[in-house]
Amino acid sequence: MSQASNTPPKRSLLRFMDGWSLQKREAAAAYVYIAPWIVGFLIFTLGPMVVSLGLSFTDYRTIAGRAPNFVGLDNYLRMFNSPDFWQSLRVTVTFAAMALPSGLVLSFVIAILLNQKIPFVNVWRTIYFLPSVLAGVAVTLLWILIFNPQIGALNQFLALFGIRGPGWLTDPNYALLSLTIMSLWGIGGGMIIYLAGLQGIPTDLYDAAKVDGANVVQRFFNVTLPMMTPVLFYNLVLGLIGTFSYFTNAFLVGGADGAPLKSTLFYNLNLYRTAFRFFEMGDASALAWIMFVIILVLTLLIFRSSEIWVFYEGELRGKK
Amino acid sequence: MRIRQWLIVMLTALMAFAVGPVAAQQPVKVTIFVGLGTGTSPTQVTAQRALEQKFNSQHTDIQIEFLIVPYSEAGQRLITMITGGNAPQLVGPIGTSTIADYLDAWADIDAFIKAENLDTSDFYGPTLEINNFGFKNVGLPLGIYPSFIIYNVDLFDAAGVDYPPASYDDMTWDINALTETAMLLTLDANGNDATSPDFDPENVVQWGFDDSWIGTLGRMVFWGPENGGRVTTPDFRTAVVNSPEWQQGLQWYADAIWEHHFYPGRPTDIATYEAAGVGSPLDSGLVAMFHTHTWYLGELRDVLPDLPFQVGIAAVPLNQKGQRIARIHADSFVIPEAATNKEEAWYVMKWLSSAENIEEVCLIYGCIPARASVAESYEARLREVFPMIDFDPIFAAIEYLDNPHHETWVPDRPRVNEVLDRISEQVQQGNRDVTAILDAANAEVQQILDAYWARQGG
Amino acid sequence: MATIQSSAALEATPPQNALRRFQLGMKGTRLILHVITTFLLALGAVVLMIPLLYMISMAFKSPAQIRTDPLNLIPMSALTVQIDGRSAPMHRVKLDGVERELALVRRAPGGNAQFVDPANPEEVLLLPLADAEPIRYFDPRLTNFQEAFTTVPFDRYLINTLIVTFGGMTGMLISCTLVAYGFSRFRAPWLNVLFLVLLSTIMLPRQVTIIPTYLLYNALGWVDTLLPLIVPAFFANAYDVFLLRQFFMRIPLDLDDAAKIDGANSFQTLLYVILPQARPALISVAIFHFLYAWNDFYEPMIFLHTPQNWTMAIGLQSFNALYSTNTHLVMAASVVMIIPPILLFFFAQRFFMQGIVITGVKG
Repeated sequence: MSQASNTPPKRSLLRFMDGWSLQKREAAAAYVYIAPWIVGFLIFTLGPMVVSLGLSFTDYRTIAGRAPNFVGLDNYLRMFNSPDFWQSLRVTVTFAAMALPSGLVLSFVIAILLNQKIPFVNVWRTIYFLPSVLAGVAVTLLWILIFNPQIGALNQFLALFGIRGPGWLTDPNYALLSLTIMSLWGIGGGMIIYLAGLQGIPTDLYDAAKVDGANVVQRFFNVTLPMMTPVLFYNLVLGLIGTFSYFTNAFLVGGADGAPLKSTLFYNLNLYRTAFRFFEMGDASALAWIMFVIILVLTLLIFRSSEIWVFYEGELRGKK
Repeated sequence: MRIRQWLIVMLTALMAFAVGPVAAQQPVKVTIFVGLGTGTSPTQVTAQRALEQKFNSQHTDIQIEFLIVPYSEAGQRLITMITGGNAPQLVGPIGTSTIADYLDAWADIDAFIKAENLDTSDFYGPTLEINNFGFKNVGLPLGIYPSFIIYNVDLFDAAGVDYPPASYDDMTWDINALTETAMLLTLDANGNDATSPDFDPENVVQWGFDDSWIGTLGRMVFWGPENGGRVTTPDFRTAVVNSPEWQQGLQWYADAIWEHHFYPGRPTDIATYEAAGVGSPLDSGLVAMFHTHTWYLGELRDVLPDLPFQVGIAAVPLNQKGQRIARIHADSFVIPEAATNKEEAWYVMKWLSSAENIEEVCLIYGCIPARASVAESYEARLREVFPMIDFDPIFAAIEYLDNPHHETWVPDRPRVNEVLDRISEQVQQGNRDVTAILDAANAEVQQILDAYWARQGG
Repeated sequence: MATIQSSAALEATPPQNALRRFQLGMKGTRLILHVITTFLLALGAVVLMIPLLYMISMAFKSPAQIRTDPLNLIPMSALTVQIDGRSAPMHRVKLDGVERELALVRRAPGGNAQFVDPANPEEVLLLPLADAEPIRYFDPRLTNFQEAFTTVPFDRYLINTLIVTFGGMTGMLISCTLVAYGFSRFRAPWLNVLFLVLLSTIMLPRQVTIIPTYLLYNALGWVDTLLPLIVPAFFANAYDVFLLRQFFMRIPLDLDDAAKIDGANSFQTLLYVILPQARPALISVAIFHFLYAWNDFYEPMIFLHTPQNWTMAIGLQSFNALYSTNTHLVMAASVVMIIPPILLFFFAQRFFMQGIVITGVKG
């Protein structure tokens, strides 16, 4: 079972490990493998993170040209008293509630459909993948046209059924829905991950289930779904982080102040506007760290719950 | 003792002699940050490279370099550079509002002007005041963008309505005349105009007037409030957002959208289309008159000859008080406080705005030079590019500049401006209680002012 | 030590003919399912393609066509003639039963307009506009593409983008594979905590860390070089490590054990057991990194000064300037820019889909 015992030539190099227990050797191997990340973390990431944490306790203004003063928890207190903070939280949570589940389910369903042996499946997959390739200003320009209340494709389509469509991006009641539709357009990325996951399910599991007389639905629930939980879990965690970091489309559509009437003032938009429009880097850092804590807590909850619903074929049990 | 002193002097002189020429050969580099305003489109990039070469070939002690950053994220980049210890020496061209937003970041150039007693008499009087915020003067005038009304001749012909006048001497062209004209040019799907009792406001297919590419402040300064475009008293301590002029102006705006229906401002109108940068109300042929600035001509440059209708230029009307107030936007270059070579940056700023170069610089950016002496030759150049545009009302507008300017500095301007822009937004969303909107906004602005002065220590 | 959860299912080997009969019975149902699937996919594909059709259409339009008629998918232009130095649109008009082609010179009240025959511009006819139909012709503009790629040095940008993309992809694949392997196949104290720390690095928005990061790269002399966009990729990132870890953890441990019994060390196990099994995941992260680096605008915009060092994403952004949105160029460049990732995906699928896992420990 030990990793070194069967490779005599390397043994001399690893002699210092001779007296180590198996556990200790395994731990050492783990740290060796994750070392690239630890080194990169210490060089590139940790420093800026600590600086921003420190700045969150100061009154640092980026263009004032003077040194930051320590102000204790002032920034945090001011944030909790700010209506914009709560509005941005509301917007983000509402958007998450709309876009996250629908995106997760829809991309999963599409991945399953695209995993069938249908003609030209490569072409279909490419078409569904296409929108996620496009990014930035071109996407926004296209959607602004489609959502145009007067001449846009969406309202012209609705008019065929006698429905008078709203001003999608300019009506506060519809702006978040419009952004959700935009985000659903680009679910190709999530779809690929599911598709990769579906490919990884051993085919003999299905064969065995068929022999046991399981129908399509049963096979889905007994084989596909459990085998896909690690992938679902990944998409859920990353989707959560992505929703809280949601920025570009909202910024391009509603500007930094979340027009119309702050209905698209996402958390990250409020942060950006505090940092780069109001120049208050101290406040922005405080906002960032509260966001950090919120995401971290939610992620921890998901990780905790994953022990119940995520199934790993190759999970290492026992103490870690 | 004496010998030693002599020796030191001799040595110092020798060193200065030896090092001096070497230092003189090392030119100072002035990096010009472009991106907070115009100047980033591909053709402008090429033109700026040519300008860079021209300057550098004329100078040995200073070399300039344009640092071009795409417009959308330039603010972040500039702040990162300034705080990251890598500040550019000159920033521009940027509009007054951006200068005011970042005011803390700029250096005062008053000392430079005074030191060499710079002759500024050639600049249009009002333009000298735009960058002078009283306590701080940050840039020489470079270019201006007067406002005007551009109209769709074909829609006027079809309605049989007289064209709006191009002359600023026409005293009948006031806000009521504009309202009336605009209503006659607003049509529903059945062809009724907005003055007709049968007009169906739910099915508007053509609007009479639009001024949507402007913030609340620009919209309100037309009505001649006491403090002009400044929303505070001159001491910057008291908010004056709910002045009678603002009440009148906002009432007119609300009526234009919801009562007279000639202004496409509702969420279901064409608003998103305008914002898209894909077109404009005028290009779409859906709007008869569009109040805008000369920067719009730069945007139209390639499109104008191909528009399926003729356009005309009209003067800005008189307001309810009988005053003429044409909004003017202005562009300048400014020096960051964090710049390390301010002397050289000042030299470059002067060079760009000089009588010899201002025309060439303004041609790149599409603005009208702020110097009266080049007006004639510049107008001739403009007529070559835009044969269909009448530039007389545009140059005439310079006389009617708003003062204080509607993009001027107030404490915590980005925050104040956000509150002000929400005033228009509320009206667009259907809130027509003008007094309540303005009172609430005034209170909010007052709060921002109070917080600002508290931070400054009273 | 490892629990082999699917062993019962794996070890049941069905009698061949029973399976065949079962499959034959399924054929009809499967056909119907495939028809429904294809129909649903086609429907979804049409909806997805609408914005892209607009993009392609605008890539072939002139600025005037975009501005006056943005939503017509086919680029059309009005046929015009010059009358008195002004351009007048041609109309097809029925006049006394004869169809004539006349130029509209001026609109008039009451839904009328003044028309002239270009051959005889002196004679002005006042006719109802409703009887006239504008003559329009198909007028695609092919020069947009040429213009988009010559007004800015896109060849230079392309080289930079390829360096950043493939340099970063190499680094990412090596480092993330190793780190994900470390996080999924070993037990060590604090490993779980470290994994959360890894994840937490993407929970803090980069707007608040960009300035200290810039200071760091400035001190290293990396500003205005491609290094900030490539080097960090060699030190793994949370997105790809997490994804690979999830896929590694689905691979049954008995495969590792078998390899160990055969005398493989942990690195050989990774190379010969884990990687072949995780091929779809590896291809996925490679595609994602490609897309990320291909489209990323934020970091190049902050760290690259001189245009010679720009990437395509910044070049694309430079068409979108204040006062002059060159929508036709943005769209033309976008159309071209999505081709490489699409081709990559299309061909990667072959390898992607071959990754069907044979769980080798049958007997």
